[in-house]
Amino acid sequence: MRASVPGAPREYPDLATPWRSLRGVRFVAIVVVVAGFYSVCWHLAQVDPGKLVSGLPKMLSWAAKSWPPATDDLPILLLRAAETVAMAALGTTIAALLAVPLCVLAAKNVAPGTWLYYPTRWFLNALRGIDSFVFALLFVAAVGLGPFAGVLGIALHTWGSTAKLWAEAIESLPPGPLEAAAATGASRVKVLSMALLPDAAPTMVSVALFWWEFNVRASTVLGVVGAGGIGQELKNSMDLLDFPRLFTVIAIILAMVTLIDHGSQRLRRALL
Amino acid sequence: MTTAAHEAGGPVVRVERLTKQYEPTVVALDRVSFQIAPGEFVAVLGPSGAGKTTLFRCVTGLIRADHGSVIVHGRDVCRARGRELRAARREVALIFQQFNLVRRSSALQNVLAGRLARVPTWRVLLRRFPGPDRQRAFACLDAVGLLDRAHARADQLSGGQQQRVAIARALAQEASVILADEPVASLDPDSAAGVLETLRAVARSGVAVVASLHQVHLATAYADRVIALRAGRVVEDTPAAGLDTHALEAIYARTGAGGRR
Repeated sequence: MRASVPGAPREYPDLATPWRSLRGVRFVAIVVVVAGFYSVCWHLAQVDPGKLVSGLPKMLSWAAKSWPPATDDLPILLLRAAETVAMAALGTTIAALLAVPLCVLAAKNVAPGTWLYYPTRWFLNALRGIDSFVFALLFVAAVGLGPFAGVLGIALHTWGSTAKLWAEAIESLPPGPLEAAAATGASRVKVLSMALLPDAAPTMVSVALFWWEFNVRASTVLGVVGAGGIGQELKNSMDLLDFPRLFTVIAIILAMVTLIDHGSQRLRRALL
Repeated sequence: MTTAAHEAGGPVVRVERLTKQYEPTVVALDRVSFQIAPGEFVAVLGPSGAGKTTLFRCVTGLIRADHGSVIVHGRDVCRARGRELRAARREVALIFQQFNLVRRSSALQNVLAGRLARVPTWRVLLRRFPGPDRQRAFACLDAVGLLDRAHARADQLSGGQQQRVAIARALAQEASVILADEPVASLDPDSAAGVLETLRAVARSGVAVVASLHQVHLATAYADRVIALRAGRVVEDTPAAGLDTHALEAIYARTGAGGRR
């Protein structure tokens, strides 16, 4: 026998019923708004499928011309790729070191007070809001062409992003262990080192590795603004319409990114 | 109260008219006064919401009382700030109901945290605790029967073991008072008995021990004295031997127990 609801059966007023007549109108309104949004986007982006169709054969002929890939410049291209990895590694490391003090100020549960918390958050958001590409553009003007400008650009943007994610990781930790350490009469630095770092470290390292991977990919573009690395060769080859060389550059970028992603994933798994 | 008076057998903790309100209407502590002598094991009884946790947090200065004072070694915990407050906290070890261990650290590291106030900052940052401090930590783990688990991560220990690590951390602090907030609430009867035996042994070594408990029979079996709280007020303060069923009814009477823990 099935369980039944006790009591006499009766009709319940269905709360959705009064709205049913309006549902069709609401649906049409939503469709109109969404369609309007995309049509505005389409015009703003100057989308023209005709151009793609006429441009496609050009690209295909480039692809045909790019075989066989040029290998005579391989040593210099590999050096440029190494430059890119080095830029990303240095930039990320500098960013992580700078993020250590700021993530403490930007985490509500460990910040010394709100008077520093809000300004820190604003500062980090400003760093995050400006892409490393834009920073690199500025630094190329300041310190000249080359990977150093790229390192500085990466460092500034990653500083903001890393510190914010670290602060969020810290905020998600349970308050108990921190309180317990503070209750022994320890100073703030000791409390953070002993009670916060062990539990926060895996997430923090994982975040830093993510930004390193991300920056390796991002810094291929930095060469375009003259900030060194493999991106510079990408731009040179494109400007000279040297497609065999372009093919090699793109293949190197793919291999490099895949290798870094793999390596950092293994590192992350080992640390967690 | 000075150290001299302490040596002369005076109280190690003096709580005077301690009052704490969370909202205009919620009184957590209402003019609570008592003294604890060195070597005493005092049980604090009371229903949930009677103010036990608030009392312990006020005595360690984790929250500030609205009125009254807590004098530990001549320092008023309720008024101390910065360095003074840290010096006062060093003398009061708190064992939390939820243990509050650093989950990814070893039992040993967690016990060493009890030494934090006595070790220079650079040594803490580099995890280079001096030999005597490490020896002390091992001895504390030995005292709670967990020496063989010293290098196990805290989150790999059972609840009872975690509670004992938390007790070892409190012992490592070499405080003159140990407060234990519901130390056996989440333990099975055997582990509970073990923990209370340990706390009593600690008290016998000259430390003042205050533990909040739910079970009256544990209080009468292990403690020297029982303080009963109800709705933030001390309703009973007697030797454990003198506790009778009439008194227990007063402690657990449901009327007016509207405080917050």
